[in-house]
Amino acid sequence: MRVLESLWRALDERLDLAPLVNFATHKEVPQHRHSWAYYFGGLTLFFFFVQVATGILLLLYYRPTAEAAFESVQFIVTRVPFGWLIRSIHSWSANLMVLAAFAHMFSVYMLGSYAKPRELTWWSGFALLLLAMGFGFSGYLLPWNELAFFATRVGTDMVSKVPLVGGWLLKYLRGGEEVTGATLTRFFGFHVAVLPMITTALLAAHLAFIQRQGMHIPEGLEEEARQRKAIRFVPNFMMREGVVWLAGLAALAALAAFFPWELGAKADPFASAPAGIRPEWYFLFMFEALKLLPSHVLGIEGELVGLGVFALAGLVWFLVPVLDRGSRVGHRSRAFFVLGWLALAYILSFTLASLAGVFK
Amino acid sequence: MRNPPTLALTFALAASAALAAPPAGTVRAPGKHAEDTCSACHLALDDARLSTPAKLTDNDIHHQQGVTCAGCHGGDPTSEDADVAMDAKKGFRGNFSHQAIPEMCGSCHSDAAFMLRYAPNIPTDQLAQYRTSKHGQALAKGDTDVAVCTSCHGAHGVLPVSDARSPVYPTRIVDTCGRCHADAALMTRYGIKGDEIAEYKQSVHYATLVKKNDLSAPTCKSCHGAHGATPPGISSVSNVCGTCHLTQRERFDLSPHKDAFAALQQPACESCHGNHAILHPEDTWIGVGDKQVCGGCHSAGDPGATAAAAMSAALAGATTAIDTAEARVDRVRKAGMLMDDADVKLEGAHQSVVLAQVQIHTVDPARVGEQTKAALSDTAAAGKMAADAEAEIRYRRTGLFISLVVIAVAMVALILKVRSIER
Repeated sequence: MRVLESLWRALDERLDLAPLVNFATHKEVPQHRHSWAYYFGGLTLFFFFVQVATGILLLLYYRPTAEAAFESVQFIVTRVPFGWLIRSIHSWSANLMVLAAFAHMFSVYMLGSYAKPRELTWWSGFALLLLAMGFGFSGYLLPWNELAFFATRVGTDMVSKVPLVGGWLLKYLRGGEEVTGATLTRFFGFHVAVLPMITTALLAAHLAFIQRQGMHIPEGLEEEARQRKAIRFVPNFMMREGVVWLAGLAALAALAAFFPWELGAKADPFASAPAGIRPEWYFLFMFEALKLLPSHVLGIEGELVGLGVFALAGLVWFLVPVLDRGSRVGHRSRAFFVLGWLALAYILSFTLASLAGVFK
Repeated sequence: MRNPPTLALTFALAASAALAAPPAGTVRAPGKHAEDTCSACHLALDDARLSTPAKLTDNDIHHQQGVTCAGCHGGDPTSEDADVAMDAKKGFRGNFSHQAIPEMCGSCHSDAAFMLRYAPNIPTDQLAQYRTSKHGQALAKGDTDVAVCTSCHGAHGVLPVSDARSPVYPTRIVDTCGRCHADAALMTRYGIKGDEIAEYKQSVHYATLVKKNDLSAPTCKSCHGAHGATPPGISSVSNVCGTCHLTQRERFDLSPHKDAFAALQQPACESCHGNHAILHPEDTWIGVGDKQVCGGCHSAGDPGATAAAAMSAALAGATTAIDTAEARVDRVRKAGMLMDDADVKLEGAHQSVVLAQVQIHTVDPARVGEQTKAALSDTAAAGKMAADAEAEIRYRRTGLFISLVVIAVAMVALILKVRSIER
């Protein structure tokens, strides 16, 4: 212990760490009936850490070329000791991370935590969700299996609908006219270099904003939070969050052991598309809605209209701290509250219906 | 048709009206766009019997190649006067008798030099073959109910054989033959049962043709010939089947059955497989029991029946082992294990069974046994992989259980600690 104390004193003397420790030990988390919502962000962060750790391990064996990608993943799951576990956890954790991020976002939205002065936190969080989806989209292709190959073809094809720059965007994403080994290589680059770099920076900012501003107390719960004793962040909240993280770890272990992530058949660019192509579940609500649209709406291509509507909805969602003027003075608009429930109902119903095969 | 007036002369006459003096001695078919009053008049006629041939000319391969109505029927297609156009003095032949058709078609189709200009790859021995066929022989004897060229190819609107609409295209030729050969009343006159088409349609060959759209699957003409249509004789059946089923034929030639069947004047392949209703062979056919094929010549206890029983048992053993191993591998696969290596082994086992089925034609249990042993070896290897995978699943689940216990203990410890410090 004496050694540790000496080390601490030496570091503090040089880096002036006492204010940070002081901040951490005095940081408190308010207690009220919706305190459960504070755990989703941390859970998302946990899955992100798992992704980084397992992703690095997968990198040791993965080879990002059309000729070797599938075989290298096959090698990982069959020959590398615990490779099956790492690959399965990486895939499951990716999905649970997006799920936790959605839960985090909707809880923040419903509790009105996006309101001033937390606009930057909301915007950075929104960008982080898009990045998570980008991770999912780029990572989906990496095993170079049949389903991923054709889903990527459909997914990237959608960007070609973007007016003016669609064709250029398509070529940029695919590295050519078609989904080929060039697409795989650049998706790999996005997945392991570009996206992690941006995500790390944004995540640091997101976490810094939260630490700087403290936890938001939802409108109408201020009195309850005042009456109940706040819990200390260190160590009480961290321990509680630790319980949640352990539950997440247990879920990952169970899913990986009982439902190892499938590898499927190697992609064959010359084969006809298999039946049942669909993207990852978190794109299904958009995918199915776009499929339901008629080929033309008011003379404009249906898919383009759909993508336009989603872009507009995304913009409204992003700008909600500005558009919901009442929230700035502590009285959030009922309309935006209802909008949140409608968005949640739409996403949930379309995703579940798609998974249940309603749209087949 | 060629003598007299020859088709060359007819063409030359017709062409001379439209074109300036053709070089002497050359055959000239009037060009497609040459003046042709035949179609113009016949299209305008109310009598469908006379107008239909004109309507069919657009798709007709001859017409497309520049052979107009006058190419076969003669006459002067440049004259608008019907009497002149269809003047016998101008070579007009009008309708052809049934018996005249093969010679008329053959006047061009047997002329290699002439056909070279239009279709260099087309054979020119159809007429010669036809004359040797049952159809040709009967026609020569004055039977006008037998098929001639137009019976199968059509008279007007003749399509190339490669055209899927042609009545002699592989997927349609069976029904074309069936127009006569499925007519039991007509066929009785020739000592033919008339159920051959119906039987063929139950066969594995027909299924391959129409379900898999495999145009290489045998149709009537593959075994009987097209123009020289005749039933294969007893000694030639294995030659006919052997053109596709080479290995089976080679194995059969090694077997004691070859000489025995020849001595008994029994057809080779047909004795066990049938002729038209050739079904997908089953291992259960081997033996002397009911619905088994060896009982016709062998009886229980004789060496042939004993060999059949040995081969049947070897095949059944291998097949059962493969089924069992496949089920086990599938179960493990459903539990999330990659079983590609086991699949390769099972594929190898299937291949060995196929080879064993080929070796049955030698009727030598030792040769069959070699292959079934190889199948059993591959199956055992696949089974071992499945067993290893099952052990791996148990290992993973045990590991999961232990880790879950550790996680649960850690969670409980944390909860208790939180409670104690928040008390």
